[in-house]
Amino acid sequence: MSPQRFRLMVSLVLAVGVGISATLIGVGFVAALAVGWQGSLIGAATAASTPTTDFGGLTSRLGILEPLAITQLGLLTLLATPVVRVAASVVAFASEGDRLYTVITLMVLAILLASILLLR
Amino acid sequence: MTPQADLGIFVVSVCAGLIGSLAGVGGGILVIPALTFVFGVDIHLAVGASIVSVIATSSGAAAAYVRDRMTDMRIGMFLELATTTGAVTGALLAAVVAPAFLYVLLGVVLLGSAAMHVARLDEEMPPAGPPSRIAAAMKLSSSYPDRRLGREVPYTARRVPLGFVLMWIAGVVSGLLGIGSGVLKVLAMDGAMRLPMKVSSATSNFMIGVTAAASAGIYLGRGDVDPRIAGPVALGVLAGALIGARLLNRVSNRAVRLIFLPVLVAVGLETIARGLGFGL
Repeated sequence: MSPQRFRLMVSLVLAVGVGISATLIGVGFVAALAVGWQGSLIGAATAASTPTTDFGGLTSRLGILEPLAITQLGLLTLLATPVVRVAASVVAFASEGDRLYTVITLMVLAILLASILLLR
Repeated sequence: MTPQADLGIFVVSVCAGLIGSLAGVGGGILVIPALTFVFGVDIHLAVGASIVSVIATSSGAAAAYVRDRMTDMRIGMFLELATTTGAVTGALLAAVVAPAFLYVLLGVVLLGSAAMHVARLDEEMPPAGPPSRIAAAMKLSSSYPDRRLGREVPYTARRVPLGFVLMWIAGVVSGLLGIGSGVLKVLAMDGAMRLPMKVSSATSNFMIGVTAAASAGIYLGRGDVDPRIAGPVALGVLAGALIGARLLNRVSNRAVRLIFLPVLVAVGLETIARGLGFGL
């Protein structure tokens, strides 16, 4: 793949990722105006006592379409984009046949993933 | 938050995203004071929102900067080796070093850099020349298409060891103090490595997202990210960054310097104030 085509592909992946996260955050926000942050769009019973900063139990809260959970999923998608971008760069350098920068980018990705896992 | 406050936070965030994407910084210097002083948000939640804002600035502008070849991926990745190891060092040092003195020191360094930045204000392009041996070996020479000048501009990284050390220090500082990571990165690339200002800004913009992503887990785990605040901040910053990313290639390097300068001075003053005990 030519460097230019790859750049366009990475650019598209990033635009789609950012678009998805912005949509989720926006939908969650509008939904919160309708049923409250810890309500449910399908009218299910909710445990409104958990703090809004708690990202736990996301899948079950997404299941009842809780506005807070939708926004949280959008934020998590956003926070993951830099990692995806570094990972995509590994593929980009490899496809250009640039061994030096494939290794350097893999090292950066490793340090990044290690600090995400360790610094918690 | 009332709908009026949400709207206000959104508008401030659009400005932060716009300035941040043009200047290569995260916009925390705008987001944190606005949230705490104007909207009465708890400082921890404001810092959590600012981490989201850094990543939103970086990601929002990224698609355009990658497509337009504004970000130098090689220089960014090479220097990212220094910043990430620096950040880990900083996080480890945080338990041992008293930060008050470091805040003041960093603030003085930033204000000194601001004076040097003023001296470079009218320089549209750093002087050209053959790449150094390290720059050649590490492939730190490239070119970018400048729409303002209407031509392809070649550049090469100067003083690579100095730039690498400064980037490591930038990593230590952001790991230790959690501030100024964007301005230090721009200063290292523009001031020390003599890259074109727009390339410095776009490359810093890419790098700050990676640095922030490394520590985002801490803030999430601590309960510092409240979607009710971080949501409107993220949307506003993304919108601002999308606009800024379209502008960067069209404005002059001098204009980018003029946008960067007040950010640099503000971060310098804020850092000194924090070190002296009356900041945020």
